[in-house]
Amino acid sequence: MTPASPLGDVGATGEEAAAARLKEAGAMFGRSLHIRTVDTGSCAVCESEIRLLLAPHYDLHRLGFFFTPAPRHADLLLVTGPAARAMDIALQKTYDAMPEPKVVVAVGACPLGGVYAQDALVHGRLDRVLPVDVWVPGCPPSPLALLQGLLVAVGRLSAKVGGLSFCEGAPL
Amino acid sequence: MALWFLRGLRRGVVTTRYPAVVDPWAAKLPSPPVFVPGHLTAALADQLVALCPSNALAREGTHLVLDVGACSGCGRCLEAAGQAARPSGVFELAATSREHLVKRVPLKGDLL
Amino acid sequence: MIAGWLWSAATCWAAAALVALGASKRLNATLAGWVSAAGGLAALVGGVLLALGGRATGALATSSGPVGGLVLRAAPLASAFIVLLGLVALATGMFSPRYHRPGNGTAIYLSAYNAALLAALAVLVAGNVTTFLVAWESMTLASALLVLRHRSQQGAARGCFLFLALGEVGFALVVVAFVLMATQCHSLDLATIAARAGAVPLAWRSAAFVLALAGFGFKAGLVPFHIWLPVAHPVAPADGSAFLSGLVVKLGVYGVALFGFQLLGRQAPWWGLLTMSVGALSALVGILYAMMERDLKRFLAYSTVENVGVIVAALGAGMTFASYGQGPLGAFLLLVALYHVVNHGAYKTLLFLETGALEHGAGTRDLDQLGGLVRTMPATTVISLVGVLGIAALPPLNGFVSEWLVFQGLFQGFRIPAHVPGVLIVLAAAVLGLTAGLAVMAFARAFGVAFLGMPRTRQAAHASEKGQPLLGPGLLAAACAALAVGAPAVLVALDRVARSVTGVELRPDLLAPDLTVLPAHTDFSAFSPTYLAAFMVGVSAVPLLIYLAARPRGASRSVPVWDGGIVEFKPRMQYTATTFANPVRVIFERFYSPTVHIDRASEDPAGLSGPVHYRMQVLPLFEKYLYAPVVWFFRRLARLLQPLQSGDINWYLLYILVAVVVAYFIAAQ
Repeated sequence: MTPASPLGDVGATGEEAAAARLKEAGAMFGRSLHIRTVDTGSCAVCESEIRLLLAPHYDLHRLGFFFTPAPRHADLLLVTGPAARAMDIALQKTYDAMPEPKVVVAVGACPLGGVYAQDALVHGRLDRVLPVDVWVPGCPPSPLALLQGLLVAVGRLSAKVGGLSFCEGAPL
Repeated sequence: MALWFLRGLRRGVVTTRYPAVVDPWAAKLPSPPVFVPGHLTAALADQLVALCPSNALAREGTHLVLDVGACSGCGRCLEAAGQAARPSGVFELAATSREHLVKRVPLKGDLL
Repeated sequence: MIAGWLWSAATCWAAAALVALGASKRLNATLAGWVSAAGGLAALVGGVLLALGGRATGALATSSGPVGGLVLRAAPLASAFIVLLGLVALATGMFSPRYHRPGNGTAIYLSAYNAALLAALAVLVAGNVTTFLVAWESMTLASALLVLRHRSQQGAARGCFLFLALGEVGFALVVVAFVLMATQCHSLDLATIAARAGAVPLAWRSAAFVLALAGFGFKAGLVPFHIWLPVAHPVAPADGSAFLSGLVVKLGVYGVALFGFQLLGRQAPWWGLLTMSVGALSALVGILYAMMERDLKRFLAYSTVENVGVIVAALGAGMTFASYGQGPLGAFLLLVALYHVVNHGAYKTLLFLETGALEHGAGTRDLDQLGGLVRTMPATTVISLVGVLGIAALPPLNGFVSEWLVFQGLFQGFRIPAHVPGVLIVLAAAVLGLTAGLAVMAFARAFGVAFLGMPRTRQAAHASEKGQPLLGPGLLAAACAALAVGAPAVLVALDRVARSVTGVELRPDLLAPDLTVLPAHTDFSAFSPTYLAAFMVGVSAVPLLIYLAARPRGASRSVPVWDGGIVEFKPRMQYTATTFANPVRVIFERFYSPTVHIDRASEDPAGLSGPVHYRMQVLPLFEKYLYAPVVWFFRRLARLLQPLQSGDINWYLLYILVAVVVAYFIAAQ
């Protein structure tokens, strides 16, 4: 199932289109981003790491990023958890309430299809429910990984993992 | 008193300088494995696929498919693979497309 | 001229009373209603003319008879009350026929109602003591019949009993007060008493005033004489309750004003201070009890207690100012009290009529079983909203104008040189301020829980307003708006009334030519109700115009209001009337001293094994600590005297012999 993605056509130029879109979004709120988190059934360890972003060591506010409880004020939706079916309506309402342009970031192994994807009570992959712009792996992703994910989402950093092969000694 | 406060007093600055400078201990965080195709036999690959608790490994004919997105960093495959895998030390894993996180590692039989 | 209008009103009501006797048929009821409404219109016009005329008419009727006979004379002080009577009769005349089912009960009810209207008019134009007292008692008895309409209903007997019992106690005190003044002034005619009152010693006048305040206080619903109000109002039908709250209690106020300003000559300062304190206390107690009520009619009854307290406090402050030589302020506060009388009559009648419509449409008066009526009963909601905005004293409606003017009068207490009255006036203003704030909250609660949100029961979900009479309440809503926007005109008329009662000329210190109202002094404050209303309407239009001009033309996306992501709203998630008022209950816990019962199915703290029942009962302070001891005392006394009624005829013959001998000796003196 490939749901409609706000990135437009996913084809040969899908990657460039995605990067262009994120750059456009980044131009609008790259220096002042408001983030709304939604937990769709996680074990709350990802939430602990997200919470740590506000602590003095990582200090999210120095990047101009803030958390907001109101989706009306939010630019970025940060989703943890394996997209439990019970959270469908709440997640959809939150996503609908966010004004355009908006960015969706899936955090952790759960919404990326790991660990609990076979369970009947969850969707497993977040893009079965919402169009996802950035995927942040990790279980949980460390705050550094989260920072990188957020900066990729606003175009201040470019994603590197596509160029890695995780394969030692063989050509790329 | 919070340890970070004392560390800050010692060093002068508490906050990380990421993305300008990566913290030195970042490579020691749990991370997805890097496989060494030279030691990765088909039998070992099947063993690892059965081991992985989060569907991150799969066998596709002559390749072992590693889904970096699904990997939970538990380390069971690292323990079982011995020389065939080592921690990657990469934490900058964010991707704009889900396909970028799916990596294909050739099995040993292919390298002649 | 005025006499003509008043006589036609009386004739209409007498005719309606007779026609209504045949109201087992729908046609009779409708005819009686329209005739009654016509009488109301006549009374309204007559009252307005009387106010504008500014002086008492000649005797409308005289007849000699026992104890002074019948004398009817229309005086300006009664004009505001006659206007109110006309307005109430007009509205209820249009409402009643469609509200009551035709039958024998309705026939007697409508007949008694028109008789009560007639008796009320007679009280207001009574020219001598006898007429006043006879008319007063007739009105009480006719009103009791109104309360008894649904006599099989639980609480009907107790409601009627309390109404009559407290009415009679008040009546006894009023009789003593009148007789006192009549014997001191050697006349039964009210105008003569007023003229000669100056010569009566202060002690007698003070005694008469205190007796009158207490006696009329029973009828007006001043604390602690108010306990009949919350018991009688729920059992009377909607228009009966409207009549009781809208008019009957105002006649008590009329009595207090009559004694305070007209019959007793120059006031002593402490009369006004006593009245003001009683009024302020009454207002606060009334609204505090109102806040805890779930039954809409009991709630409105306590709100009447509150408003009567405000009116009486204004009267008392006016008396205080007058007694200290501040004539203009005294006249101003009398004027404002009369204005508030008419205002409160208008919106309280409206609210009671709409409560009746609500009861018929949704099947219940209990706030916790209503909800969401704005969707099923939109016209009722809009009309009730006008009434609620008025009674909560929110701008720009009439309640706001009169409460504002009351405060403007009270704030000028510094003009009295003595300290104690100044402090008491400030305290009264503070108490009335608290009352006003609590009133806003109480009515936000009543309106919000009943009309807004989701229906809390199936009954409320299937409410309908088909067949509900809208003309009467709609007229009252229009009257509320007119009384606010046309306040300058109303105040001109009331100024003539105040001038004829107190002799003080208020204009131009009352009304500036540009429709601005001044509180009897030009250097204190100024306020224009007309411009305020226009301004508010204009200002609310500005955001609308901005939106229409500047709304985004491109593609836009409509999504539901952000509600926290809740999957489904359930009616049980809403505030109930009890929980909305909880902060007030907690703050005033000492006053309410509620007894709380909690029944659980088991000791499980999570309540998983069954429902948990919570019951809270507010302490009935006056019934328990004032009336119960008094009743107990009289019961003991009666039991002590019981041996006198031994049943033995020999003892009775002895009593007769003793009585004859004593009478002989008295007569021989």
